[in-house]
Amino acid sequence: MRQLIAHTAAPDGSFLGVDWGSFVVVLLVAFAATTVVVIGYATALRLLAVGAPLDADGGAASVRTGRRPLAATVGAVVCFAIGVAAVVYGIWLIVPQFH
Amino acid sequence: MDILVTVVAVIVVALVFDFTNGFHDTANAMATSVATGALKPRTAVLISAVLNLVGAFLSTAVAQTISGGVIKEGSSGVDITPTMIFAGLVGAVLWNLVTWYFGLPSSSTHALFGGLIGAAVIGAGFGAVDWGVLLSKVIVPALLSPLVAGGVALVATFAAYRITRNARVHGAEAGFRHGQTVSASLVSLAHGTNDAQKTMGVITLTLIAAGYLSSGSAPPFWVIVSCGLAIALGTYLGGWRIMRTVGKRITDVKAPQGFAAETSSAATILVSSHLGFALSTTQVTSGAVVGSGLGKKLASVRWGVVGRIATAWVVTLPAAALVGGLAAWIASASLVGLIGVAVVGLLAGLGLWALSRRNPVTRHNVNEGDEAEDDASGSRATASVGAGQEG
Repeated sequence: MRQLIAHTAAPDGSFLGVDWGSFVVVLLVAFAATTVVVIGYATALRLLAVGAPLDADGGAASVRTGRRPLAATVGAVVCFAIGVAAVVYGIWLIVPQFH
Repeated sequence: MDILVTVVAVIVVALVFDFTNGFHDTANAMATSVATGALKPRTAVLISAVLNLVGAFLSTAVAQTISGGVIKEGSSGVDITPTMIFAGLVGAVLWNLVTWYFGLPSSSTHALFGGLIGAAVIGAGFGAVDWGVLLSKVIVPALLSPLVAGGVALVATFAAYRITRNARVHGAEAGFRHGQTVSASLVSLAHGTNDAQKTMGVITLTLIAAGYLSSGSAPPFWVIVSCGLAIALGTYLGGWRIMRTVGKRITDVKAPQGFAAETSSAATILVSSHLGFALSTTQVTSGAVVGSGLGKKLASVRWGVVGRIATAWVVTLPAAALVGGLAAWIASASLVGLIGVAVVGLLAGLGLWALSRRNPVTRHNVNEGDEAEDDASGSRATASVGAGQEG
């Protein structure tokens, strides 16, 4: 990623003194990271709810009926794992002692 | 003797600034969590305070220069004197208190830049400020931050609602609240590593300028401890006025929106600070909240509130610069002037606090988004019709 910045950070790409190349990279990476995490997390919640009736509007939880297939549970765990990995990577980025 | 008094004054005002910084920015990380009920108000500020304190100790690389190149320092430029730093900090603190009184989330960093710029212009003329750097490092990022975070949060909110059938699948609400707590905590930790460090840099620079530390020294341990504690204490006491604006008044944030907004904020802040294009935490989180409001079908964004926040952002730098310049002008005249500035600043701060007591916002009423009550910003005209719709 550092090399990628070095390439896009050519001085001729600047306007108003702003390095638009690295701005576009920030925009795209932030967008990709957020959508992957949010879609993963939401999908996990959806999969966990397979076989249960919808909750009432406003968040009142319904009583679980029916059974959740094993595949849905496995899928949910995989989707949650994306979020866990993202959080661990985020902490790694924040704590300078790690790198 | 004079120099000792000045240095002590700078350290005191710097710690007060650090306190207002924590106080102001609690809302960035925790407003949406408090609004959705993911965390109890007191738990939210406690988590945020602890993570800010931890963050203050984590960061080892101290900001080389507090002005980020905005003020031309060194042989070709001006020498930043302790008096100028003092005046700049007074401007930043007062502006932080004014925006807090009106419940507006504004960037503490911009207030600090503004105060220092005002002091530098008075102390050394307009040539002391590198306006090109100001544009590229402060103004343009300030315009882009809320747009990036808002756009990302809009798509994320839309996806979160779409996938979970408007958050009505079994357990979705609770699930989003748990996720939101985690991403808000990441925002808090990132904040601690950045903002406490700025004040440490200010104090260290002053000690070096006054000759108490050798050039290039790392901040002494007592500086790290006191800055960490000041920002944590400010965070714990909580800027409830600002939290109410961000969590309830921009748009009434629900759990899926809070999750999407905090995740977008955390991702945008981390990515921007590690790919070399720094964006402002305050502006990222506020933009993300607006985006999460737009991403939910039929959710209303109160554009009047957004407009007031945007106005505060535009005014922050010049207003802090004006106060900082005025303070520099008086404080550099004599020691009496410097003490006078400190006293006037203290009185102004106490005055704002006293004013806020007439219409207090505490952890008990932070989630009342009802505009019908007497609003500090005098927006009676926008009073909502559904009185008492939010308990």
